[in-house]
Amino acid sequence: MFDFDATLPLMALQFVLLTLVLNAVFYKPLTKAIDEREDYIRTGSTDAAERLAKAERLAKQYEQELAESRKQSQAIITAAQAEAQKIVAQQITEAQQEAQSQREQAQRELDQQKQEAMTSLEQQVEALSQQIFEKLLGSQLA
Amino acid sequence: MLDIFNTFTLAELEVGHHFYWRLGGLQLHGQVFMTSWIVIGLLLIASLIATRNVQRVPQGMQNFMEYALEFVRDIAKNQLGEKEYRPWVPFIGTLFLFIFVSNWSGALVPWRLIEIPEGELAAPTGDINTTVALALLTSLAYFYAGFSRRGLGYFAKYIEPTPILLPIAILEDFTKPLSLSFRLFGNILADELVVAVLVLLVPLFIPLPVMMLGLFTSAIQALVFATLAAAYIHEALEGHGE
Repeated sequence: MFDFDATLPLMALQFVLLTLVLNAVFYKPLTKAIDEREDYIRTGSTDAAERLAKAERLAKQYEQELAESRKQSQAIITAAQAEAQKIVAQQITEAQQEAQSQREQAQRELDQQKQEAMTSLEQQVEALSQQIFEKLLGSQLA
Repeated sequence: MLDIFNTFTLAELEVGHHFYWRLGGLQLHGQVFMTSWIVIGLLLIASLIATRNVQRVPQGMQNFMEYALEFVRDIAKNQLGEKEYRPWVPFIGTLFLFIFVSNWSGALVPWRLIEIPEGELAAPTGDINTTVALALLTSLAYFYAGFSRRGLGYFAKYIEPTPILLPIAILEDFTKPLSLSFRLFGNILADELVVAVLVLLVPLFIPLPVMMLGLFTSAIQALVFATLAAAYIHEALEGHGE
C-alpha cells in the first residue's frame, strides 16, 4: 500500500504540466472573459446612471420651462382680459356719451319745434280770436 | 456451495496489487497513470469545449466551466485575499479540479469492470504516490511563495515570535505535506475499501448510502486539500508576525 516508486515524481511532473496547460486553455481565457464581462457591466451601468441623471436633469429643465411658459401665458391672458375690459368700458362710455348727446339733440329739436308750434299756434290763436271778434262784433259794428 | 460463490464472484478486494510498468530502470503504477490520464483528458476536453468559442453571454459548457472557475477562484480569494490571489488560481484551482474529478471518477465510474492484467483501476488519488506528489508540490509552492516575497527573510518565520518554537516551526514543514497527503489518501482508499467490502457482502442496494457518503467526502476532501494549500501559501506570503 505504501510503496513509493517513480510514480511519485512522474505524477508531480504530470500535475505541473496539467497546471500549465489548463492555465493556457482554461484559466486565462475564462478569467479574461469574466473580467471583460465585469468591465462591460460596470461601464454599462455607469453609462446608464449618467444617462439617467441627464434625463432627470432634462426633465427638470423642461418642467421649469413649462412652468415659466405657463406663467407667461397666464400673464398674457390677464393682460388681454384687462385690455378687453378697458376697450369694453371705453366703448360703453362712448356709446353712452353718444346716446346722451343724441338725446340732448333730440330734446333740443323737440324744444325748438315746440317753441315754433307754440309761436304759430299763438299767431293762429290771434288770427282766430280776431276773426271771432270780427264775427261777433262785425255785425254790430257794421 | 463455496464453489458456486467463487465461480460468480461479484467483487473482490485487491489492495497493494499494482499493474507495474517499467520505464528504463523505474517502476511505475500503470493503473494510476491510466485513470489519471482519463481524468486529465476529461478536464482538458471540458476546458477546450468551454473556451472554443468564448462569448460575453456564456452558454452551455462555457457557463459550467465559468462556474467551476469562479468556485476555485473563491477558494483562492478567501484564503489569499483580493490582492494576492490571482497568480495562485491556476495552481489551487488545478489541485481542486484534479482531486475532485479523480475522487468522483473513483466513486462514479465502475473502473473495476475493466480488466487489466494485474491490480485494478481506481481513483488516482487512492494511491499514496499521487497524494504525496500533490502534497510535495504544495510544499514547494508555499516555499516558493515565501522566498519570492521575502527572500531569505522567509527564514525569519522560524524564529518568530520566539526562537523557542524553532523545532515546532521546522516540524510544521514536515507535518503539512504529510497530513495533506495522508488525509486525502486515507479518505479515498478507505471509502473505496468500505464500498468494496459492502459490495462483497451484499451486492445490491445496501452499499448505496455508503457510496453517497463517499461522493460527499470525496468532494469535501478536494475542497479541504485546495483550501489548506491556499492557506499554507497565504501563511508563507504574510508570515506569522505581520
